[in-house]
Amino acid sequence: MADDKDVLRDVWFGRIPTCFTLYQDEITEREAEPFYLLLPRMSYLTLVTDKVKKHFLKVMKAEDIEEMWFDFEGTSLKWHYPIGLLFDLHASNTALPWSITVHFKNFPERDLLHCPSNSVIEAHFMSSIKEADALKHKSQVINDMQKKDHKQLWMGLQNVVLCSSDKFDQFWAMNRKLMEYPTEEGGFRYIPFRIYLTMSDRPFIQKLFRPISPDGHTHTLGDLLKEVYPVAIPNDDESKHYQVVIHGIEPLLETPLQWLSEHLSHPDNFLHISVIPAPSD
Amino acid sequence: MAALGAERGEASKVEEKINTQKTADSWKRHIIRQLKHRDKYQKAMFQDVILAYINLLERSNQRALITKGILGSGSRYPASSNESLTSLISKNDDLKKTTGELAYQVLELQQEIKIKDSVLEEQHARMCEVKKDLLGVQAEDGSLAVRVAEVTEGNRLLKREYDSLLEQHHDMDQTFREEKLRGQEMLEELVRRKQHAAIRMNSRNERRVRAREASLQKELETAGKVKVTIDVGSVSAPASREASPKSDLAERRTTRLFRSASVTSPPRILDSIKELFDRKKRRGNSLCLSLEEELYVPVGICLAARVPVRALHVLDAHELGINAVRFSSSCNLLATGGTDRSIKLWDVKAGMLHNRGTLDGSNEGITSIEFDQTGTRVIAASYDKSALFWRLDDSAPKLTLTGHSRKVTAAKFKCSLRQVVTGSADRTVKIWDLHRAACIQTIEVLSYCSDVVCSEHVIVSGHYDRKIRFWDSRAASCTQEVPLQGR
Repeated sequence: MADDKDVLRDVWFGRIPTCFTLYQDEITEREAEPFYLLLPRMSYLTLVTDKVKKHFLKVMKAEDIEEMWFDFEGTSLKWHYPIGLLFDLHASNTALPWSITVHFKNFPERDLLHCPSNSVIEAHFMSSIKEADALKHKSQVINDMQKKDHKQLWMGLQNVVLCSSDKFDQFWAMNRKLMEYPTEEGGFRYIPFRIYLTMSDRPFIQKLFRPISPDGHTHTLGDLLKEVYPVAIPNDDESKHYQVVIHGIEPLLETPLQWLSEHLSHPDNFLHISVIPAPSD
Repeated sequence: MAALGAERGEASKVEEKINTQKTADSWKRHIIRQLKHRDKYQKAMFQDVILAYINLLERSNQRALITKGILGSGSRYPASSNESLTSLISKNDDLKKTTGELAYQVLELQQEIKIKDSVLEEQHARMCEVKKDLLGVQAEDGSLAVRVAEVTEGNRLLKREYDSLLEQHHDMDQTFREEKLRGQEMLEELVRRKQHAAIRMNSRNERRVRAREASLQKELETAGKVKVTIDVGSVSAPASREASPKSDLAERRTTRLFRSASVTSPPRILDSIKELFDRKKRRGNSLCLSLEEELYVPVGICLAARVPVRALHVLDAHELGINAVRFSSSCNLLATGGTDRSIKLWDVKAGMLHNRGTLDGSNEGITSIEFDQTGTRVIAASYDKSALFWRLDDSAPKLTLTGHSRKVTAAKFKCSLRQVVTGSADRTVKIWDLHRAACIQTIEVLSYCSDVVCSEHVIVSGHYDRKIRFWDSRAASCTQEVPLQGR
């Protein structure tokens, strides 16, 4: 369906305007100017911020450079979350562009993982895909793929920075296989999803949830939330307390979960859902 | 009812589908709308600005680099505080100009670098090609060297083989020559031995002959002394029979030319005449015919055999030598012929010879005479290379048979009365037909034929090469060669 393809493309090419500012306590030779960039929603922070690093290295002395890390209004940004998720979770209702502070020192060991090279990001990405396929197809599809197919997935993601459509096609040529399901089942075995909360101790909620109920009824987003995090759904007479955001939009609660998983997943095949407090005007 | 129910069920299902589609459309449309809205606010508004910003940033960075470079060179001139503003401004202008020029130069230099790079690449490529060619040529060279080595090796092997073969050939040649010599020696040895053997054989044979002659002489002497008396009517004793072949042999051996009126003939003549008369008595009338046509050959039994010791009657018959003497088989006639070219006929009466007639016609001496079986015709062979045929009632020859190339040594009647056999010194024996007076057959004989004897089909000829030969007149082929001793 052409609509579905459009949805996929819009999701894939989503961008966030960002302004990177160097932390004022960093030692610089000259004053560092902020660096503006359109970050792709689908990618990961450490994958796309080489230019940022180069920009700020011009004004710093080499011996002061350690691993670069980012934070937003005091919250250190985990690089292994997709950028879109980070934005939706932390800065959904703030003014654009998104202001990120760049640090080179005092790496917060307890909060962030180290990212020494791109292969670490690749390993994390591939492991997410495998976990998602394990939930969807008992790992059959991902195991049938050859190593070059895995590489193709990763390459497609790596080049998502470029606004070229052939990377999109390259990625989806492979990803299509992961989105198939046997017709008699009506959907995946389990839906790979994670619900992220801003005010919670645990990082995310992930549970086993079938897309089709035993009596053949397709589950919706609302069903999922009712099952897993009923707080998010307001009762009829109450006003909305929370926003359920996926990719920066709030889908209707009637949206079928299977369709959501097929079309609104991130490249790592997970549905990353953010539940944030509704803005109070 | 059930069918209607089913129909209704179907219709409701379709309705549900449409409903779901509508609802599907609604949430999908909502999502699409939301995405577009998001993009508008988050992406589109900022996209151009940020791109332009990045461009400007890059350009300013470049300029910063260039100005840093220029300022670096230009830092030799320290700007003192006493310098006026104008000079600074002019300096700034100059610097700007140089900036532009330098930027232009930078571009030019970049172009040249590009060109040089391409040239370098070309040369690299050429060098690679040349290297490849070199490798190829080296490989060829290597392979050719290998082939050369192989060929020389092959040549050496061939030469060795050739040498060995040559040696073998020499050896075989040597052995061949030796063998040949040995062969020749052996042949000579063989010949020598054969000669020895022949000499021995000859001497042995001569001794044997001499011994036989001696014994025969002795026997003859003893036989001559013995007198055998026989009754006319009785059959002779077996001893006389045995004696006759010996006497024939002796006759033949001593001389061929001499025919003597021996003691044996008169009793034979008497017998034959008597038998004739007896037959006449039996027959009766046809007297004259029977004499002529009678082909009955009287079988003469030899009644007595004796070597003639003394002559009964001696007569000078011819002017020259006598070569042939023959008794006629029917009458009492004796014919003699010799070198004086004529045949004289004699009557034998009471041991005396009376002249009866002469037969002329031969141009040269007579070599042999024969009467035919009836006794009325004579055939003679002569030195004038012809055979002559007479009837007794005529002194001139009835026929002359010419055809031999040398003297005819013998002429005999064949049993059939029509045919005559002649033997000649020209090494042929000819058979003639009397009625046609022409030669029917010529038999090449290989040697001087001196005498011929013939029977029904067999011709016996005697030759100078110490052999007598038997001929089958039907086949004109030599059936037997009998080598005899003597001449």
